[in-house]
Amino acid sequence: MPALASFATPADVNALLPASIVALTALVALFFDLLVPAATRRALAVAVAAIGLVAAGIVLAMQYGHPYAAFGGAFFLGGFSVVFSEIIIIATLATLTLGLGVGRDDQVAGSTALILWSASGAMLMTGAGNLMMVFLGLELLSLGLYCLCAVSVRSTAREAALKYLILSSMASGFLLFGMALLFGASGSVALSALAVTKPSLLLLLGSGLFFVGIAFKLSLVPFHVWTPDVYEGAPLAVTAFMSVVTKAGALAVLGRFAYAALPPDSATAILVPVWAVAALSMLVGNLAALSQTDMKRLLAYSGIAQVGYIVAAFAGQTAIGVRYAIFYLAAYTFMNLGAFAVVALMSRDADAVVGVGRFAGLAYRRPWLAALMTFFLLGLAGLPPTAGFTGKVLILASTVGAGYAWLGGVLILGTAISIYVYFKIVRAMFARVDEAHVRDERSANPLPWITVAVCAAAVFVLGLFPLTPSNVLPLVH
Amino acid sequence: MTVTVLVLGPIIIGLILYALPKGAGGLARGIGVAVAALTFLLIAIKPDAPDASLPWLARPFTAAFHLGYGPISYWIVLMLAAVTFGGLVALRIPREREFTAQMLVLQGAMTGVFLAKDVLLFALFWDLMLIPVFLLMLGWGMPARGARSHGTAAWRYLIYNVAGGLTLLLATAAFGVVNGSTDVIGAHAAPITIGYLWGPWIFAGFAFAFLIKTPVWPLHTWMPDTYAELPPPVVAAVSAVQSKAGLYGFIVIGLPFLNEQMRAAAPLMFVLGLIALLYGAFIAFTEDDAKRVLAYSSLSHLGLILIAIFSFNPIALAGAAVYIIAHGLFSASGFLTLGFIEEREETRSLAHLGGLAADNPRLSGALTITALAALGLPGLAGFAGEILILTGVYAAGFWWAALIALIPIVIAAGYMLRLFQTIMHGPKRADLPERHDLTWLEGFALVPLVLGLVLLGVNPHAVASFAVDDTNGGHVVAGTR
Repeated sequence: MPALASFATPADVNALLPASIVALTALVALFFDLLVPAATRRALAVAVAAIGLVAAGIVLAMQYGHPYAAFGGAFFLGGFSVVFSEIIIIATLATLTLGLGVGRDDQVAGSTALILWSASGAMLMTGAGNLMMVFLGLELLSLGLYCLCAVSVRSTAREAALKYLILSSMASGFLLFGMALLFGASGSVALSALAVTKPSLLLLLGSGLFFVGIAFKLSLVPFHVWTPDVYEGAPLAVTAFMSVVTKAGALAVLGRFAYAALPPDSATAILVPVWAVAALSMLVGNLAALSQTDMKRLLAYSGIAQVGYIVAAFAGQTAIGVRYAIFYLAAYTFMNLGAFAVVALMSRDADAVVGVGRFAGLAYRRPWLAALMTFFLLGLAGLPPTAGFTGKVLILASTVGAGYAWLGGVLILGTAISIYVYFKIVRAMFARVDEAHVRDERSANPLPWITVAVCAAAVFVLGLFPLTPSNVLPLVH
Repeated sequence: MTVTVLVLGPIIIGLILYALPKGAGGLARGIGVAVAALTFLLIAIKPDAPDASLPWLARPFTAAFHLGYGPISYWIVLMLAAVTFGGLVALRIPREREFTAQMLVLQGAMTGVFLAKDVLLFALFWDLMLIPVFLLMLGWGMPARGARSHGTAAWRYLIYNVAGGLTLLLATAAFGVVNGSTDVIGAHAAPITIGYLWGPWIFAGFAFAFLIKTPVWPLHTWMPDTYAELPPPVVAAVSAVQSKAGLYGFIVIGLPFLNEQMRAAAPLMFVLGLIALLYGAFIAFTEDDAKRVLAYSSLSHLGLILIAIFSFNPIALAGAAVYIIAHGLFSASGFLTLGFIEEREETRSLAHLGGLAADNPRLSGALTITALAALGLPGLAGFAGEILILTGVYAAGFWWAALIALIPIVIAAGYMLRLFQTIMHGPKRADLPERHDLTWLEGFALVPLVLGLVLLGVNPHAVASFAVDDTNGGHVVAGTR
C-alpha cells in the first residue's frame, strides 16, 4: 500500500485527466446555458460538449504508449483503456450530432451534461483496476442514462426509463454481491490480488454473479430482455449512445477480467458459461431481429448479436483475441453509429419512430443515403468491403486458433441468420415501390451527414487496413 | 498495375456513374460499354501483366491484396469482359445509369474473384459479387408472365449464396490459421498438406460454398428462378462467369491444397455431378420458359465439369478448363439471344413463340450457333470441352461415369433443338407482334462470343495447354496465355 501522501501524485491526476475533462465540460455546458438567450442554447451546449470531447480525445491520444497504474492500481492507464476511451469519445461525439443534443431546447444543456457524465463513467470503467472503480464507473454511466431515457415527450420514454432503472439496479445488485464474494475470496478489492487467488467456491460464485451483472449491461442473452424496450422508448441519440458506450465500458471490464484478472489456472473453467452466453446471444439476437419492424428495436437485437461476436473473440483469453475484439468493437461502433445517423436523417423530428417500411424505395428517392445505409448494413452483416468483414475474419481466426471452433461455427450460423435481418432493409430500399404510399421525411439538421461520412470512411479504411496494435492488452499489475 | 486496374477500374467507374445526372442514362451506358471494351483489350494485349500485391493482414495469418493472372483465370476474365460488353451494348434497359453502374461493379467484383491469388481476397470478392446481382434482381427482375418481381427469387439467391460465402469465410479463416498464410493460389512453393484433424472440415466449408455457387443438385434450387428472373445481360454474366467461381475454386484451392480430402469426396461428387447432369437435362427437355431451359441445361453442363475435376486426370482437367470457357460463351450468347427475342415478342414462353425464322433470318442464325455449340457440335467450343472431359474421365478409369455422361449429351441435342425449333420454325403465330430482325448493334453484341466459340472450337489448345503438376496432386502450375 502506498503512503497516503503519495496517493495522488500529478501522474495519478494526469491519468484521470481525459475523464475529468469530459466531466467538467458538462459543468461548463450547464453554466453557459444560464447566460445565453434561449435561441442559441442548443447550438452552444453541443458546441461546448464537442470542444470538451475533442480536447479529452487529444489528451487521451497523448497518453497512448505511457502505461501507468494510477492511485495505487485503482486505475490503469494503458493502450487498452486509451483505445476503449477513444471509442467512447467518438461515439459520444456522434451521438450529439444525431439530434443536435437530446430533448427540447431548454433541456439540451442538461441532457448534454448527463451524456458527458455517463461517458466519463464509461471511461473510468475502461481503466478500472479494482472492484470499487468498476462499480463507480458503472453507476456513473447508468445514473445518467436513467434520466436520459426519459427525456422525450412520448410516454414510452418514461416507461423505458423506469424499466431500465429497475432492471439495471437489479443487475447492479448481482454485480455488487459478486464483488463481495470476490473480495471474500481474494481478501482485496484489487484485481491484481484476484489474479493470484486460489480456486475456491467463493471465487466461482463471485465471478459468476459478477458476470451476470456485466452480461446485463452488455445485454447478452438471457439478460437482454430490457434492451429492445428501452432502446425503442429512449430518444434516438440516447439509443445510439447506449448501443455503443454502455457496451464499450462493460466490454472493457469483461476483457480485463477474462484476460488478466482471473487466476489463469481456473479462468478457462470459470469462463465457459460466458462463451455459451455469447453463442446464445449471436443466435437469439439475430433470430429475434428477424421479426422486428421498428428500426430501433431491430438495431437493439442486432446489437445483442454483435456483442456476442465481440465476446467470442475473448474466448481462449489469447492476446490476439483481445486485439481483435477491440478491432471489431471499433468497426461495430462506426457501422452502428452510421446506421443510426442514417435513421436520424430520415426523420424530421429527432425523436420520431422510424419503421423498416420507411426505407421502401429509398434508393430511388435518395440514392446516396441508400447507398451509405447499404454499406453500413453490409458491414453489420459481415460482408465486404467493410471493416465488419475483416473483423469477422479476425474473430473467426482467433476463435478457431484458440480451440473454440464451435464458437466460430455458431458465429457463422448467427451471421447467416443476420443476413436476412439486414437485407430486409436493403431489399426495401432497392425495391420498386409506389411513391404515393411512402412518407419521405428529411431531417432539418445536416450534422448527421458528417457522422455518416466519417463512419463510412472509417468502416472502409479499417476494412482495408485492420489496425490491431499489440500494446492494447489489459493489465492488472 | 494492369490487374489492379482490371478489378478496381470497373468498380470505381461504376460507382462514379451514380454521380451523373439522372437523365444521362445513354452516356452512362456508353461509358459502361467503353469500360467493358477497354478491359477486354487490356487483357488481350497484355497477357503477361505482372502480379500486383499489397500486404493486408500480418496476424493471425498473412494475407495480401494479391491479384494476378492464372492459366485458367486469364481466359475467364477475358470472357467476362466480352460478356459484359455484349450485355451492355444492345439491350433495352430501364434506368440505364443505375443498371450500368451495377453491371460494372459486378464485372469488377467477378474479375477480382478470378484474379485473386489470396484465398481471403478470393472470399472477399466472392461475397462482394453477390450484392450487385441481388440489387439488379430487385430493381430489374423480369419474372415470367409479365408479373412484377416481388424479390422472392432475389431473396433465395442471396440467402443460398451468402450461406455458402460464410462457410467459405470460416473455412478460409481455419485454412489461414492452419497454414499460416492465405496468399497461396497459384504459388509454386512446397506442397501444403492440411492434416486429418482440420482438413475434412476446411474442405467441407469450401465445398459447400462451391457446390451452391455452381450449383449442383441438391443445392441448385435457387438457380432456375434466379436465371429466369434476372435481366438478360446479368443472367449472361452470372451463368457464364459467376457460376464458374465454384468450379474454379475446386481447381485452384481444392486440387493443390486439399487433395486428400478431394479424393475422399470424389465418389460423392461423382454421384452429385451425374445426378445434376441427368436431372438438368431431363427438366430442360420439359420446361416451357426458354430461360429456364437454358438454366437447367447449365445445371447439366456444369455437372459434367464437376466430374471432370474430381476425376484427377490432366486431360479431364484441360477439358474442364475448355468447357468452363465454352459453356460461358454459349450460355451468355444464348441468354442474350433469348433477351433479344423476349424484347421483341414480349414473351419467352415456348408455348407462345413460333415461326420467327421466316422473318428474322439473322436472329435465327444467332440462336442456331448457340444451340449447336451447346449440344456439342464438332468444330465449336462445346465439343472440344466435352470430348476432352469424356476422354479424361475414361482414361482415369471411370468408364461407367463417361458412359452415363453420354446420355445427357444426347438429350442435350434434343432439348436445344426443341428450343430452337419451337421458337424459330413451325407456322407463324398471328398473335406475336411483327418486329424487325436482329439489328447491327445486337449482332455486334454477339460477335465476340460467337467468334470465341469458333476459335476455341478449332483451337482448344489455347486454353487447355497448362501444365499439371502431379507431384503436388494436380496443381495447375503454368500455361501459355
